[in-house]
Amino acid sequence: MAETVLMTWVGCSLGIFIVGCTWRILRYALTPVHLRWDLYPVAHEPAARREHGGSYMEELNWWAHPQRRSLAGEVLAMAEEIIFLKAVLRNNRRLWLRSLPFHWGLYLLAVTTLVMIPLSAGLAWRPLTFLLQAAGLGGGGLLLIGAAGLLFLRITDRELALYTSPLDRVNLGLLAIFGALSTAVASSQSGVTGAASLLASLATGRHAAVTLLLGIQIAVGGLFIAYLPFTKMIHFAAKYFTYHKVRWDDAPRTEDTRMARRLQSALDYRVEWSADHVQTGSTWGQVAASMPDAPGKDTD
Amino acid sequence: MQKATIQPLKDLEMFLAADETVDVDQLIPLPFPYEDWHDEPIPGLSNDQASRIESGPDGVCAAQIPVPPSDEARERLVAKFLEGLKKLLTRENNWTFLQPLLLSMDNCVKCQTCAEACPIFTGSGRMEIYRPTFRAEMLRKIVDRYIKPGGHVFPTLRGNDIELSWDTLVKLAELSYRCTLCRRCAQACPVGIDNGLITREIRKLFSQELGIAMPELHEKGTVKQLTVGSSTGLNPAGLMDVMEFAEEDILEKTGINIKIPFDVEGAEYLVMHNAGEFLSWPENLQAFAIILTLAGISWTLSSELVGYDSVNYGLFYDDVQYARVALKHYEVAKKLGVKKIMVGECGHAHKAIMPVADRLIPDELRVRSESCLVVLEDLVLNEKILLDPSRNDFPVTLHDPCNITRSMGIIQPQRNILRKIAPRFREMEPHGVNNYCCGGGSGFAVCQSLNFPSWKAKVSGRLKFRQLLEAFSDSIEPETKKYVCAPCSNCKGQMRDLLSYYQAWERTGMLYGGLVELVVNAMVDVREGFIDWDFH
Ligand code: SF4
Ligand code: SF4
Repeated sequence: MAETVLMTWVGCSLGIFIVGCTWRILRYALTPVHLRWDLYPVAHEPAARREHGGSYMEELNWWAHPQRRSLAGEVLAMAEEIIFLKAVLRNNRRLWLRSLPFHWGLYLLAVTTLVMIPLSAGLAWRPLTFLLQAAGLGGGGLLLIGAAGLLFLRITDRELALYTSPLDRVNLGLLAIFGALSTAVASSQSGVTGAASLLASLATGRHAAVTLLLGIQIAVGGLFIAYLPFTKMIHFAAKYFTYHKVRWDDAPRTEDTRMARRLQSALDYRVEWSADHVQTGSTWGQVAASMPDAPGKDTD
Repeated sequence: MQKATIQPLKDLEMFLAADETVDVDQLIPLPFPYEDWHDEPIPGLSNDQASRIESGPDGVCAAQIPVPPSDEARERLVAKFLEGLKKLLTRENNWTFLQPLLLSMDNCVKCQTCAEACPIFTGSGRMEIYRPTFRAEMLRKIVDRYIKPGGHVFPTLRGNDIELSWDTLVKLAELSYRCTLCRRCAQACPVGIDNGLITREIRKLFSQELGIAMPELHEKGTVKQLTVGSSTGLNPAGLMDVMEFAEEDILEKTGINIKIPFDVEGAEYLVMHNAGEFLSWPENLQAFAIILTLAGISWTLSSELVGYDSVNYGLFYDDVQYARVALKHYEVAKKLGVKKIMVGECGHAHKAIMPVADRLIPDELRVRSESCLVVLEDLVLNEKILLDPSRNDFPVTLHDPCNITRSMGIIQPQRNILRKIAPRFREMEPHGVNNYCCGGGSGFAVCQSLNFPSWKAKVSGRLKFRQLLEAFSDSIEPETKKYVCAPCSNCKGQMRDLLSYYQAWERTGMLYGGLVELVVNAMVDVREGFIDWDFH
């Protein structure tokens, strides 16, 4: 019975996670085309320009030259960010010392969980169990250290504490607990094999035995997964958009008809802003082609 | 009047309500020869002013918001603000920046990595209200509490328990004019959050919904530009007088007879200058005329309304006004049938005319545009004009306008020119794409009202002035004349005010000017001494 409840909980959490993430991604992806708002350095510029933060606009008649975009540059920049949290390292080393184990812990636990399902059949092979155990211990330990360190910093450092809500603290506390539970589960081989068979049962529907410790760990993990998309912890998905769709979105307009269509539909939106100088009710295209009415502050 | 309460971040509320003025003793210290420098406190508004005009939580006034006549008027304005906030989050009313705004509103992890990058926050001695996340956090709380469904559920736990009042809104509006939109914080942010953009969106909401904006940007800025022709108030007749004077001046100074071309159809370049140059720094316009004419380039200026002034202050506060001015610029270029637009030495005009307008101008009005720095680099490096660098044998440093560097990635051309023409060129640190704003960005340079000039000299420009002193530390004595090259009109406006406030000419022999002046100063075909050191 307990296993069924647990597995239902995990299944629901995953469902909520997928729906939540999709909703969040669509929230950004379905916005209209925006005006360019490049921010340099832009990672896909060729290396010679990337180093000083340059752009194609440094060239005379820039439109006459083929656009050279370095995919490797983008991949490298993203990898440095995801793996080493480079911007935090460069600008906020104190935080980085806690944030890095926090993120690595999460990555390790996520990867371990994912590989457990297909590998659960081979767990009789000791080296594999040992490897998964080490990954679980490492991931849980790093998460515990990172989350506890961040929580401590956010309570004791005034500048951080000012901007940390009680809910933020609860989230970090919960993650520290999850790290501790994961470490405890991974500390024994039976814990790892138990977790693996439980996860595999999600796919196979076969019954799996659950210890109390594992049950609590899975319950807390499920809770975390379920509410993740509704918090700012989802920034890993947002980061794709902030970098690729805003900062690095430097593509000059071409004869691209799709872009022209998107722009036209934006210019056809009706403006509802109500200040005196805006011609409320006209389309953006009409407003842009008009002159402002007499100025005046609307405070009397 | 009801005060804003920000729970549980109690201290934020405290900062907002404290009405704490800038403590000049906490400002970032300046190096030699300024160890003995003493700043007077920023003056408060007079009683009469304070009875008519609202001010910020620091007692400074930029937006010049009239005090509402009654409590009903205040309530009406608060309600209107909330209406505007809803519009800000809709695609119909904010397609221009909705995606970056949502991303920045939703995903800040409050790590404060951005704080160290902000020249205003650090330059002020870390005043909390100037922290890059402060305004953003206020707006976020208002959205979470009043706009999002369920905002009243557990507000304390979620950090949303802000009670909105006119008092809070005025402070938010004023604080949106304590950030130069330099985007240095965005560059440092690991998530890619842009607090500069959020600040601009706050200004935009106040402008487009409540008609509240810094008068120098709106009434005396875009409105004047669209109706009179230029935010300087210069009309086409006045423009002709200025040009006539410029031609006479060129002849007198250089011995060269140049006719400044106007409205030449089919020219290679329509050169667009910030019209502030015509009145405040005519030598910049003259230097352009000399270089382009002697290099044999086909170019023209426009005498059409708006066409002779490249500024677009809409970029700083209002999408509607931005779009109107941008469209007008391109209409003028198209009508003349020029091949390209060349943007003169004005940073925000670069950004307004080039990348930002790229997705606004309809196909039938599109004309290619490029930076004057790139054209000049071609002329200098390929020796299309004859130069004698020894004429520029004095220390030179380069100030990077944020809009040209961080927002457009034009970094090397100006350096390549300086390396060629100024043997004693040195960089300031940090520079290029990582530069510090001059402190006059986003319209601050043109705001000369009330106590704002005192604030921008002491606070927003402080770090820049320190950089200048450090760049010239090997020759800081006033006997060695030195040149701060600032290829941007607004930056030059701020440099003028900074150098004047800190008595930099008397104490250090520091002069500022544009890039083209240095180029002409080194031109063999021009009489020596184009840069006038006595005019400071
Ligand atoms: S804006 Fe970026 S750097 Fe600043 S607090 Fe938010 S996430 Fe951190
Ligand atoms: S945009 Fe510039 S001035 Fe504004 S908060 Fe960011 S760093 Fe500070």
